Amino acid sequence: MKALSLLLAIAFFVIAVLYWIGTLQIAVHEPGPHHKHAVLFAGLGILCLIWFRFQSSAPSRVR
Amino acid sequence: MLLAILQGFSELFPISSLGHTVLIPALLHWNIDLASPSFLAFVVVLHLGTALALLVFYWREWRGVVLAFIASIVRGRFSGGTDEKTAWLLVIGTIPVGLLGLFFEREVRGLFASPIPVALFLAVNGLLMFAGEWLRRKDQGGHALTSLTYFGAVKVGLAESLALLPGISRSGSAMVAGLLMNLSESEAARFSFLLGTPVILAAGLLEVPRLFDPAAHVALIQSIFGGILSALTAYLSLAFLTRYFRSNDLRPFGWYCLGAGVICFVLFFSGMVKA
Repeated sequence: MKALSLLLAIAFFVIAVLYWIGTLQIAVHEPGPHHKHAVLFAGLGILCLIWFRFQSSAPSRVR
Repeated sequence: MLLAILQGFSELFPISSLGHTVLIPALLHWNIDLASPSFLAFVVVLHLGTALALLVFYWREWRGVVLAFIASIVRGRFSGGTDEKTAWLLVIGTIPVGLLGLFFEREVRGLFASPIPVALFLAVNGLLMFAGEWLRRKDQGGHALTSLTYFGAVKVGLAESLALLPGISRSGSAMVAGLLMNLSESEAARFSFLLGTPVILAAGLLEVPRLFDPAAHVALIQSIFGGILSALTAYLSLAFLTRYFRSNDLRPFGWYCLGAGVICFVLFFSGMVKA
């Protein structure tokens, strides 16, 4: 799950950058940069990083 | 100025602000182009005013929630505190609203933003409130917000997304979902208002560039005055509603929406008022 959260975070940040610079044009209404989409995906990326943080500090084994 | 008062008042009452923004100008024959850059820029200011009122009204709660959220991230685990649970419920509940709003808002509103479908959705909004109250009474709800599960928060967020349909109230649909999750009226209302704050604030902040659109012709004094008026009416609405839901329910709003929706539908559909 740790790897998944990190992979998802990276994927969301890449999507955010692609929307910001206007390369990604999926589910948009007009061509060009889409800052709102970028902000949303960056937010999801941050949430995945928080998930990663929670996984990292969770006890690895139960004594 | 009337629009500012209408926005501040109807954004938080469970009667659909967007529905009223479509229906009232059509009923009164106001010559407003709802898609014009100037109008959209003015709406941005009104949203920011409403968000400011929400932040000020729930200032102590937001302070506690944000601090608990940051503390849980730093700690890397849940402590089980009330503020922390509220913070995560809000984060999780906001995700479906953000995703659905961003990808479907324009399509949905483009399809339905004319008086006849809006009137129908307003009537449906009234029926939803009756259904929420009826189902809740059967289940004997009335729990505190902390009893809500994270999956329940997703359901409330999904219900709030119904407000993409003009005529369906954001706060109303979230409250009905909260009632169905066995929250009390006052807790469902509190969660609805807290959940609405980041949504309304983001809707305002992300549209700020519209204020600088050369085609917008924003009248600065008029916009500032509109924003203040919207904030004041939103604050007064919050003060009234939080007190109202301590001992009352959604049914009066349900009657209003059902009545207004049916009357408007008849007026527009019959051609008595030109849609």
